[in-house]
Amino acid sequence: MIVERDVVVVGGGPAGLTAAARLAAAGLTVTILDEQPELGGQYYRRPAPEVARRWGDHRREGGELIAGVRAAGVECRTGHLVWGLADDDRTLLAEDEAGRPVRLRGRHLVLATGAYERSFPFPGWQLPGVTTPGFAQHLAAGDHTPIGERVVLAGSGPFLLPVACSLLALGVKVAGIAEAGTPYRPGRRALGTLRHPARLRELAGYAARLARARVPVWQGAVVLRADGHDRVSSVTLAAAGRPGQAIRTVEADALCVGYGFRPQTDLARLLGCEVTADPGTGDAIPVTDPAGRSSRPDVYVIGEAAGIGGAPTARARGLAAAHDILARETGHPVPPAEARRVATAARRLGHFTALTDALYPSPAQLLDALVPALADSTMACRCESVTAGELRADAAGDVNAAKARTRAGMGPCQGRVCGFAVAGLVRGGAVFPSRVPIRPVRMTTLLELAAEDGPA
Amino acid sequence: MTAPRSATIIVDGRPVTAVAGVSLTAALVGDHRWALRRNPVDGGPRGPFCGMGVCFECEVTVDGVPSVRACLTRIRPGMRVDTTGAPNDR
Repeated sequence: MIVERDVVVVGGGPAGLTAAARLAAAGLTVTILDEQPELGGQYYRRPAPEVARRWGDHRREGGELIAGVRAAGVECRTGHLVWGLADDDRTLLAEDEAGRPVRLRGRHLVLATGAYERSFPFPGWQLPGVTTPGFAQHLAAGDHTPIGERVVLAGSGPFLLPVACSLLALGVKVAGIAEAGTPYRPGRRALGTLRHPARLRELAGYAARLARARVPVWQGAVVLRADGHDRVSSVTLAAAGRPGQAIRTVEADALCVGYGFRPQTDLARLLGCEVTADPGTGDAIPVTDPAGRSSRPDVYVIGEAAGIGGAPTARARGLAAAHDILARETGHPVPPAEARRVATAARRLGHFTALTDALYPSPAQLLDALVPALADSTMACRCESVTAGELRADAAGDVNAAKARTRAGMGPCQGRVCGFAVAGLVRGGAVFPSRVPIRPVRMTTLLELAAEDGPA
Repeated sequence: MTAPRSATIIVDGRPVTAVAGVSLTAALVGDHRWALRRNPVDGGPRGPFCGMGVCFECEVTVDGVPSVRACLTRIRPGMRVDTTGAPNDR
């Protein structure tokens, strides 16, 4: 069966939901796909209904946006994993929640595939109890479940602050926050955020909450290693400037480490959309115009997948793409006042993102500091258990050659978790190439798909 | 305010109770079960890492279906979960 629509939206987070609602409200046939059991993406991930009933919905506006999408008549296919592309280069291959194959075609494809957390290895990072900060946040906000009793947060970026506050709200002891940079000092750069008082207040609110709870913030500190048997039990930190020398060991039953977010671009790259290195982060991002149109006229890339900017930016990008599609479909551009409002909002939000980014070390600076200190024996690729030393031996500057020789990046995560570090270790390009299947797919799905096509 | 309803699932033959409808990772972590699988290459214990479907470290067998990501699965009463390492079908 092939699902044919005016627009197929991949990803049900802030960007995809905003675009889908606007397009369907204008009368287009729209299908939105997401691999999660419910719409919302990561930012608007829905709490369990019992959690919401007892403790409230921490992001009610997400529920309102989803209700708007349904009311507008968008076909919502959750539990659908998009894993490939047919030979015609435009039909998406997916599997539904029961593992049945689904093919979808849209005259316009809107990719709102979001982002995932940037990780960097250290000895012991594969121990159970070592996670991303996002996992701790989902457990706390969506499931009202503390990730541990005594937690260390580490990495870099503003996201560590709200995660720490979510843990405090559950009564968790936050043993400390190790921030690789030194962002929390009064300085000129911080003044620019005054143009966005609401968002500055949000960050200041987190900082005040952490100060009241006397949570130590160790600036300029990185994780040297995690120790434990079947679960992490202690964390040793080092100074970011001397990442090999221990400065402090902290007991913890959970360690959550993340260095911000990376755009999830595999589907855009599979579709042949041109990518470029993000000037701020070095990550590969699709080349898009202000409306999100990629190098392929039928493919839009919006939200975090087009470059990290946060949920308000994602929603602005979703609206801009919807306006562009509607203008092409109807021959009538959206009223200029509305278009101008969206463009102005997107510009202001981009400005805030740039200012916030400037407070924290860039990914390139992180690699410069962390890669030389990474011991050869450290596991770099978690799926295939490949060490940093094995990858260094292949430092020919080619992630593909390293992948073929060591198997790094060949496991189920397809290099999403190790890719940043592997690129740093082999001093190569920023991303592994995108190949079908971009996610592991069940053998039964492939067999059923082949059966639909009939004998070769 | 009323207490939340709970649900009981069966993990490796033992009952585990959690708030109804939470993610399977929440039910397991709430029961202090962190090691959900062994890495097929080095045999070491692994547990949930990303919580959003990217890393595949939380794959378990659910009602006989192998390689199910616990982080993307909500618990249902009576759900049978196996973390003892049923063979991977991929």
